[in-house]
Amino acid sequence: MSSRPALAEPQTAEAAGTQAKARTGRRPLRLPRPGYLVSKLAAAVVSFAVTLVIGFSLFNLMPADPVRTMTRGRPVSEAELLRLRVQLGLDKPVWERFLDFVNDTLHGNLGYSWEYQQSVASLTMDRLGPTLLLMGTSFAISVVLGLWLGLRSGWRAGSLFDRITSATALTLWSVPTFWLGMILLIVFSVGVGPFHGFLPTAGMSDPTLPQTGMTHYLDVAKHLILPALTMVLVVYAQYVTIMRSSIIEEIGSPYLLTARAKGLMDAAVRRKHALPNALLPSVTMIFMHLGTLISGAVTVEAIFSWPGLGDLTFAALKIPDLPLLQGTFIVFSASVIIMNLLADLAYRFLDPRVRDQ
Amino acid sequence: MAVRETPGFRTALAAAVAGGLLLAGPAAPGVTKAAAAASSTGTSSGKTLRVAMDGSGVDTLNPFTSFFNGALDIFGSIYPTLTSIDDSGAPKPYLATSWTLSDDHLTWTFKLRDGLKWSDGKPLTAADAAWTLHLIMTNDVAATANGTLVAGFDTVTAPDATTLVIKTKKPKSNVTYSSIPFSGIPIVPKHIWESQVAGLKDFKNDSFPVVGYGPWILTDYKNGQYAKLDANKSFVLGAPKYDHLIEQIYKETDAAVAALKSGQLDYISGVNATEYASLQHVDGVQTAQAVGHGWVGLELNPGAKTRTGKPIGTGNPALHDPVLRRAIALSIDKKTLVTKVLNGQGQVAEGYLPPAWPQWSWQPAPGKKQSYDPVAANKLLDDAGYKRGPGGTRTDPKTGKPLNLRLGIHSDDSADAAISRYLVGWLKVVGINAKIQAMSMSALNSDLGKGNWDMLMDAWTTGPDPTYQLGIQSCSTLPKDDGTGGNTDSFFCDPAYDKLFAKQATLFDPAERAKAVGQMQEILYEADVDLMFYNATTKIAASSKVGGLITGKPNADGFYPAQQTFWSYLKATPASAGASASSSGGGSTGLWLGIAGAVIVLGAGVAVVRRRAGADDRE
Repeated sequence: MSSRPALAEPQTAEAAGTQAKARTGRRPLRLPRPGYLVSKLAAAVVSFAVTLVIGFSLFNLMPADPVRTMTRGRPVSEAELLRLRVQLGLDKPVWERFLDFVNDTLHGNLGYSWEYQQSVASLTMDRLGPTLLLMGTSFAISVVLGLWLGLRSGWRAGSLFDRITSATALTLWSVPTFWLGMILLIVFSVGVGPFHGFLPTAGMSDPTLPQTGMTHYLDVAKHLILPALTMVLVVYAQYVTIMRSSIIEEIGSPYLLTARAKGLMDAAVRRKHALPNALLPSVTMIFMHLGTLISGAVTVEAIFSWPGLGDLTFAALKIPDLPLLQGTFIVFSASVIIMNLLADLAYRFLDPRVRDQ
Repeated sequence: MAVRETPGFRTALAAAVAGGLLLAGPAAPGVTKAAAAASSTGTSSGKTLRVAMDGSGVDTLNPFTSFFNGALDIFGSIYPTLTSIDDSGAPKPYLATSWTLSDDHLTWTFKLRDGLKWSDGKPLTAADAAWTLHLIMTNDVAATANGTLVAGFDTVTAPDATTLVIKTKKPKSNVTYSSIPFSGIPIVPKHIWESQVAGLKDFKNDSFPVVGYGPWILTDYKNGQYAKLDANKSFVLGAPKYDHLIEQIYKETDAAVAALKSGQLDYISGVNATEYASLQHVDGVQTAQAVGHGWVGLELNPGAKTRTGKPIGTGNPALHDPVLRRAIALSIDKKTLVTKVLNGQGQVAEGYLPPAWPQWSWQPAPGKKQSYDPVAANKLLDDAGYKRGPGGTRTDPKTGKPLNLRLGIHSDDSADAAISRYLVGWLKVVGINAKIQAMSMSALNSDLGKGNWDMLMDAWTTGPDPTYQLGIQSCSTLPKDDGTGGNTDSFFCDPAYDKLFAKQATLFDPAERAKAVGQMQEILYEADVDLMFYNATTKIAASSKVGGLITGKPNADGFYPAQQTFWSYLKATPASAGASASSSGGGSTGLWLGIAGAVIVLGAGVAVVRRRAGADDRE
């Protein structure tokens, strides 16, 4: 880390002194103090515990009749309904179900789905791969594209490129995801006028093709194009705007003038000096975004029938399949909390000013 | 010092787009053609029929514990049943070629086909049927989904390989409906399932190919994606014309419609009115409407109570008055709902049972029909002492309170939303103030069971045997005093109705049973507790390259008989061999060459931009 001096260009005299040390590489990399780590970990654990309570309360206190909803339309007698209620544990008082829930969670047991009649863990694992593929791909493209466009736009704010980039990004950010997805589906899958659609409409693979080997991977990639494109188009604007505003804040800084005075090329000033400082707000957003990756994108998964976790959770809400909702809630919450923790720790490495506090 | 990247970027972008189009353009039509070909002609070996799976999806592949329609569709395709159902909804042979009933009406003897084999080659005999039914009768887990269908069975035995004997405790007229495709009990192979009984609750039944017998064999299922089936070319009721069947999951019917238009799908059952209208003039798509097997209506809380008569819930007591309920019934213009909400794609409903099963259809006698008549509704209320207060809202003469009624609707149902707006207006005309409360189905169900409602939008679909649907209006389904054990649909309770319900269960002549069922519907109609609005048609859209999907002849309204996927998939016939038959591989190659070309050109464009930037920096 110490070999990346540009990460902490000084903006104050005090910070300048700190940075001078960092730039020379003489300052050894320090691990966070144990006290700091413990406090952050403790905060994460408390957050998780609070989340458990909120999650359980949220799902269990909402008015619902899972048994009648699940069996709707089927000839099920009152005796069978009663048996099902007992089997699902719905005959127990709420406090008892809460204790069971906490006990199961502490033992790593996410529960048993009423709807799918299998463990929540196995269901989650089934859907994790597709979710990470879709969200990971769209996330990576959004970050790279958004930061690149934001950097270029902010560096020359007000230019034609900036106006086009910002306007496009904000327009796409404002467009309802469902509408955009359907338009892309119609254009690229069905076709418009002389343009013939050529992309799949649903799922993540064509069942008529082999489900292994290169053909399968290419097929999955083909199915990934439209959902990932939809996600990218509605998400990348966040990175464009944050990076653009960060770079505009940095652009008049004295250290950039110094860099230019040293004779550095403009691209080098931008890339090596402005970018690292402007990147910090984006890092926060990246980690926040990372934390929500596995919760998927309900809307996009619905439009393109992508078999992800967001879709699974949404379907569970209709019953409601309480163990599945609680289980996925735990996974989603844990993901966000862990990513926030990592963001806190990463900040210490990325920004010496935080490290020295 | 300025970086003039914009012109370079634009040039590169234009080059990329042009290059991409040049390369992808020729590839695209080929791919489209290939995709369409893959849809109805399919894979390297044989022809594939691709259908949209029922929106409910598959909960589990275990037929003993499954409730969702997507799974029931699959079970109908891969497991046999004792009987099947004809266009009129009457039982006809399947595994059983004939059946007889003893003189005391307690013993049914089914003669089963000889020489059938499960998909693993083991013989399919009456012992399999007896074992399946007996398991449901004696095992709580096995009875989870279908226990009601064997209620009243005393013993089930298989004296020989082709004879199944069912003895009932009391005469039971609907035994021939107990094991039918989709809504009845699927017969499973004993030699596979008997080792799973101990862990039946957790048995996923996902070893492919799943051993069964039916028109199709399940070869693969991907949770949340698709089910893949191969044809059983030796199926006893006729071999499927297609070689493969794929049931693809679409979370949105709009996407399924797009897939149908693009040739990636062959069949959708259950498109909505707007989608149906958009598909009627699309080349390569055929559409049809089948009479509805469900109703949409409004339930009025007549006074929720337990079996012992103890009042429960928060229902408005004004609705206890049959005069008020009749006035509400007369204030609703069902024809307008059919025209405006359904775009005319359905019919006004009067009877409780839908037109899909014509043997149970009932219509009110001449002069008894409750037609839209707000003047008569107002007169009824005026005469009964419901005086109008400030703002025109009437007051309940018994309590003196204004008639403010809650109207619960399904928050995820656009038809409910549209209907409720009409209802509020119509009810206002007769001096009733309705307040719309949009809720999830689960929340509505919860309120319903507790009696915490005034008016609820409701909808039901019914199979060919009306027993269950009629049963949820009987007094015995009211909850116990502690609030448990209830399964009532609307807290309706009438001893005369219950008497007829018991009677129809013992009538073996279809006409006599239909008469009793009609009388029950008349009681319901006159009680104004379940106000039937309409029976929406089932709207079907299919590729015009597929024949035979839609069975029967249309009625005077142009509506076909109720369609059963069991028969539709079995009778579907592919286009002639010469119509289209390219494999998808070449198309994909073209597509990927196109995409690769576009990526290369784009990459080159970016490189140019970077070079320009670098050059500027060097200036």
